[in-house]
Amino acid sequence: MRKFNITVNGKAYEVEVEEVGAVGTPVSRPQAAPVARPAVAPTAAPATAPAAAPAPAPAAAAAPAPAAGSGEMVNAPMPGTILDLKVAVGDSVVSGDVLCILEAMKMENEIMAPTAGKIVSIHVTKGASVNSGDVLIVIG
Amino acid sequence: MSETLKKLEQLRKAKQVIELGGGEKRITKQHESGKLTARERINLLFDGGTFVELDAFVKHRCTNFGMEKTDAPAEGVVTGYGMVDGRLVYAFAQDFTVVGGSLGEMHAAKIVKVLDNALKVGAPVVGLNDSGGARIQEAVDALSGYGKIFFRNTLASGVIPQITAIMGPCAGGAVYSPALNDFIFMVDKTSQMFITGPQVIETVTGEKVTAEALGGAMTHNKTSGVAHFLSQNDEVCIADIRRLLSFLPSNNMETAPVFESDDLNRMEEALDSLIPDNPNKPYDVHEVIRAIVDNGDFMDVQPYFAANIVTGFGRLNGRSVGIIANQPKVLAGCLDVDASDKCARFVRTCDAFNIPILNIVDVPGFLPGTGQEYNGIIRHGAKMLYAYSEATVPKITLITRKAYGGAYLAMCSKELGADIVLAWPTAEIAVMGPQGAANIIFREVVSKADDPIAMRKQKIDEYTEEFATPYKAAERGFVDDVIEPSASRPRLIDAFNMLQGKREQRPGKKHGNIPL
Repeated sequence: MRKFNITVNGKAYEVEVEEVGAVGTPVSRPQAAPVARPAVAPTAAPATAPAAAPAPAPAAAAAPAPAAGSGEMVNAPMPGTILDLKVAVGDSVVSGDVLCILEAMKMENEIMAPTAGKIVSIHVTKGASVNSGDVLIVIG
Repeated sequence: MSETLKKLEQLRKAKQVIELGGGEKRITKQHESGKLTARERINLLFDGGTFVELDAFVKHRCTNFGMEKTDAPAEGVVTGYGMVDGRLVYAFAQDFTVVGGSLGEMHAAKIVKVLDNALKVGAPVVGLNDSGGARIQEAVDALSGYGKIFFRNTLASGVIPQITAIMGPCAGGAVYSPALNDFIFMVDKTSQMFITGPQVIETVTGEKVTAEALGGAMTHNKTSGVAHFLSQNDEVCIADIRRLLSFLPSNNMETAPVFESDDLNRMEEALDSLIPDNPNKPYDVHEVIRAIVDNGDFMDVQPYFAANIVTGFGRLNGRSVGIIANQPKVLAGCLDVDASDKCARFVRTCDAFNIPILNIVDVPGFLPGTGQEYNGIIRHGAKMLYAYSEATVPKITLITRKAYGGAYLAMCSKELGADIVLAWPTAEIAVMGPQGAANIIFREVVSKADDPIAMRKQKIDEYTEEFATPYKAAERGFVDDVIEPSASRPRLIDAFNMLQGKREQRPGKKHGNIPL
């Protein structure tokens, strides 16, 4: 595992890069692979490319989730549009609370908290389109 | 003391030793880890004083690696029969306090005898698993034991209900006997199932995972769909097994026991206003189920897995009914790979055991996307069509709202053999939703209109008015009647009563070829 400090648009990111094939080093947290979006979306896209570029090996860059740290990620169960956000960062939720409304298959699907905790970060905005598996909200 | 009395005393002592299993120390350890012993579990399972033990004196024949010096009371598994709510049930409970409940030749032979006897007399089998796995000292004899159990599980499949509870470790080959059963219970935090354990996985692939995350109760109830029920502890688990048995017949020649029902003509006014005015709003289909069944009593099967479809048992007029319902609250109620598997398996379980089926339909379609196609939604979705078509038990379909396209057919439409199809006035039975349909059939009219947006809306409204109703289907006889939601319970009870004499013949064959 090697660490890099990368600055994109004046924002610093600490990126860990792991060489694939190195015997015995388990791949940690595969879901962190798509450099998780920092709270504001625009910088997210460029962040991905430079992050991978300086990697010494042609390896998949495994970046730690930003701000998020370790927490329960709530992913989009299917592709759709975020119709409404019911929580804000810092809110306390209990298991089963509605976090946001995802409109998909012509249904306003209530996305519920899988666990109790505090909202650590929100990775989508009202009106955003999401794909299946995208991280919507992280509960810590 | 006379010789005869001495022999009697000998017998009593021998039984006492056997009943103590692995001894006080190991029993205390078993309790400390939050588990009951095999005999405590058996006693909870059966009605008081009805358990009859078999093969208590069976001993292993292994002499490898010092095994000849190892005494294993009851061979590490308590077997026998007894009564559950007055009905005969066979059971075996592995005893973790005796050589870790490990399975050797004679341990397996005891289980085989239980399966053979249960099959002979047509009684359900309950297996309470708590075993370290194969008894390695017995080598290929242990493997042979597993093989014999698998074979009998398969022979008994569809003849007698086979229920397993995982109440401790269950690893390697041991997992496949439960997998061949009809239902698997798992006790939260104290049970695990996996083919290869965390240590082997780490050595081979480098992947680090805890036993709980790999094969714990929630993992198999939610993620893999291997298990059907999750219980908080041993006591609850065994109470749940007894409850499940009450919905099942003893074998495929009988019907489930009949219980006292509450008011047959109970009207449920709440159902009249349950469906939201906006078709894009979800509701909880459990509310529909609970309103319809006797005493609101519903036993959810696989509640955590593929929650977009609900499967479970309830009663109507005191008789057991298998209920399958789309859940608009989860994944919009779409059918996907997991939901198809869950549904098809449940339908076949009901059909095998003469349990009539009620389908509650509100399905927007199959879930689109590469994820689903690559995972074989065609192959998995076909299981639903197959299972419903194959089932000869009474089948009733109640359409509450959306019933679109292939998913409408897959949820047991008239064509797949539904004996009665009822619809609420809120039903929308069509090839596709109004927006999608308007985009295709009115494309030209809309594009040539002066105000395309207004024209599109007008056409969607027209289509909704005309086609997003149950009446087009009722005109063709695909829906037998459109009913008031509040009258659902009496109407369904009446329909199931009418169907009690149903007999349906299928072409003779060795067996069909369900797409697996």
